Amino acid sequence: MKRSICVSIAIFFMVCFFGSDTMALQTSESEELFFSSNQAYRQGRFQEAIDGYGRLIHAGHKDGNLYYNMGNAYFRLGQLGRAILSYERARLLIPGDADLNFNLNYAHDKTQDAVSESQDLVGMTFFWLKDLSLGELLWGFAILNLLFWTTLLIRLFSRFEWTYYACLISMILWIIAGASFGLKWYELNTDNRAVILEQEVNILAGPDIRDTVLFKLHAGTIVHYERSEDGWSLVSLPDKRSKNRGWVKTEAVEPFIEKNQG
Amino acid sequence: MKRSILVLLALFQFMLISCPARADVSVSMRLDREEAVIADSISMVVSIAGARKSDSTPVLKGMEDFDITQGGTSSRFEVINGQVNSGIDYTFFLQPKRTGTFEIGPVEVTVDGKTHRSNTATLTVVKQPESSGINRGPLFLTAGLSSTKVYVEEQSIYTLKLYHQTRVSNISLDLPDIEHLTFRQLGKPIEYQGFYNGRSYDVVEVRYALIPSGEGICGIEPSRIKMTVAQPEHRSRRGFFDDPFFSFSTGRPVTVASEPLELNVLPLPDKGKPSDFSGLVGSFKINSRLEPNTIKAGESATLTVLVNGRGNVNRIPDLKWPEPDHIKVYADEPVLKVKEDAKGLSGSKTMKWALVPEKEGRYKIPPLSLNFFDTEIHQYREIETSRLSISVLPGEVKQIHASTDHSNGQKIESHAKKAVKELGHDILPIHTSIKDLGKGSIIPPGGLVFWFVFIGPFFIYAVAFLGLKFGKKSDRSLATLTAKKAAKKFIKKCRQDGLSSSDLALSFRTYLNERFNLSLGSLTSKEAAEILKSEGADLDTARKILAILKRLEDAVYTGRGQKACALGEDASQLVRQIEKEIR
Repeated sequence: MKRSICVSIAIFFMVCFFGSDTMALQTSESEELFFSSNQAYRQGRFQEAIDGYGRLIHAGHKDGNLYYNMGNAYFRLGQLGRAILSYERARLLIPGDADLNFNLNYAHDKTQDAVSESQDLVGMTFFWLKDLSLGELLWGFAILNLLFWTTLLIRLFSRFEWTYYACLISMILWIIAGASFGLKWYELNTDNRAVILEQEVNILAGPDIRDTVLFKLHAGTIVHYERSEDGWSLVSLPDKRSKNRGWVKTEAVEPFIEKNQG
Repeated sequence: MKRSILVLLALFQFMLISCPARADVSVSMRLDREEAVIADSISMVVSIAGARKSDSTPVLKGMEDFDITQGGTSSRFEVINGQVNSGIDYTFFLQPKRTGTFEIGPVEVTVDGKTHRSNTATLTVVKQPESSGINRGPLFLTAGLSSTKVYVEEQSIYTLKLYHQTRVSNISLDLPDIEHLTFRQLGKPIEYQGFYNGRSYDVVEVRYALIPSGEGICGIEPSRIKMTVAQPEHRSRRGFFDDPFFSFSTGRPVTVASEPLELNVLPLPDKGKPSDFSGLVGSFKINSRLEPNTIKAGESATLTVLVNGRGNVNRIPDLKWPEPDHIKVYADEPVLKVKEDAKGLSGSKTMKWALVPEKEGRYKIPPLSLNFFDTEIHQYREIETSRLSISVLPGEVKQIHASTDHSNGQKIESHAKKAVKELGHDILPIHTSIKDLGKGSIIPPGGLVFWFVFIGPFFIYAVAFLGLKFGKKSDRSLATLTAKKAAKKFIKKCRQDGLSSSDLALSFRTYLNERFNLSLGSLTSKEAAEILKSEGADLDTARKILAILKRLEDAVYTGRGQKACALGEDASQLVRQIEKEIR
């Protein structure tokens, strides 16, 4: 029995050592590309900067700062829809970044359509989720996890009354932190928001160019993406009260969550 | 209960005692009318507020032309909204000796050694009207005008008097509806005792101000009063209920009418009519005051102009004040007060201005003028305020707060803070630091430390928990194993050949100790049977065991303990039985 426990511990630490850092490697090539893209941005070669940031992202650097820089470059090019898309993607990764929030608000101010998203009960209850990234929540959960198991461990050997309350409090915090992490993870994996990319698009009653135009949307407007059929995407407005939905050309709209992002 | 009553009584007594000390003593006097005929008896009530008694009866001044009769006293005590009011009223009846206008009062009252004086009142006593010689009966209505010839907008007092010698109730008055003539009631109806044609009547008097708005002869139709006149019921037999106190009476409706009157309304003359005439008719005065007379530049003084008089006071215009140089003028809302008394409408209008001189010096305040048609002298008059002036001293110089940097001698002026003004809009720059790269990854944080923090605590806890659990379990398992093996050991022992009684007894005791985790050194047959019963063995089995053990004990204690016994097989059978029963 003792032997099996020792083997388990050894395997655990081996996994920790050799399998922990699965992030993309920051090679000197990536750094060079990052610097050259920044240089291109400064010199006004925005498309070149966008290409550079895009290559870094596709190379595995799913980084909020790269999306942010890319959003800036799109904004300078006047592509408001793509700028907002990049900013929103950056916001999924670095939601607390002050520069990002400033630029995103500014970009939203430039949009033409007055569309607001309905606030749901979970969002109001777990109000801190929108300002914390998944990683930050996980770190918080890990620290509270340490606190919780430590108090339980103390309780195992010491039956003082304070250990009971310490266990209770740490358990409540642990549950909240765990639920926050779970909800954030769920949000990220079920986020169906998308951005209108073209300057003005017709939202049709069906996936056919001859169908009735229901309403028009403009670049930067956020919609909810539902499904795609033959080059057409079914989208709806995020305001649940409006119930406006219709079909739009797939190339005119792009979801926040990239297909290869998971 | 008694205690609470005593407390309440004490509190009440305290209120009674304390109220005169707390309240301010004041004395007032009122007459039941302002005009009377020489035969009338006028009621005068002297009210002392804030005291429940006076040192002596009130002393009436200016009563040489009247015969005075004291009518009695009454005291008042009332609590209104928690405020205690008390007082005493003295009633006097005045019988005029001659006609004329008299200033009645003041009345002097001494309370607690201090003399208090009342207000005064004016009473006009006129001659008895000429008797028509016609007896008008016990109930009639008269109407009279104070003046039959008035100017447009000049008021004439229309007096209605209901004379009655019988009791009347449900009185309602119908006034005539006349074009260009407005009736305005002056106070509440008053009741008093009067004389007409030498006969005494109860009189109800009501007065109206008649204000004509158009010129010409204006006929005033009779006014009518409807009422119920009481009729005592006549009984044929006198009985207990014939006492006047219990007398029942019925009423009959009666309507009486006054005589028609005529009012000659004259137009206001065009001669001397001011171009800015406001239509004010009557008798008016104007007063002004400036407070304070000396101020500093930038401070304010208040100019108050008061116009008061008798007439159509609602026509008093809002006076305009020319704004002089270097004085800023801020007008206040004028306040109009209208009073109604027996002589008609009177009132006042108060106008105020705040004057703020900007510079030092002496400023003259130009007079304000008001014109009106004076009904006493029958011509237009212009009245104006007195000339006032204001001295303005130099104002305080506003200090500019500045701080001096003595090190370099430069003055740094402090500035008022302003709201941040947005001059342009743009996005913030890109993130260029290589440190930023990789910070904002969607991949959860990894590394040894993270996994140690995330899984390590659980792992450590699990190991500790299992360790503790396992330790306890192993102890229990050993005991169980020993118990399981006890029966086998005993049966094996029983199979041995030549097993003595003492060995068998010892083996059985060992079996019981191991089987039930006991640590008994010696064991009687009864104790063994009890243990078995308590552990769930059948009663019959326990009894059989008891029997075998007794036989073994007998053998041991009779010196046959070392001899071989034939109970081994029976004992092993019984142990098997026990194992089945207590499993």
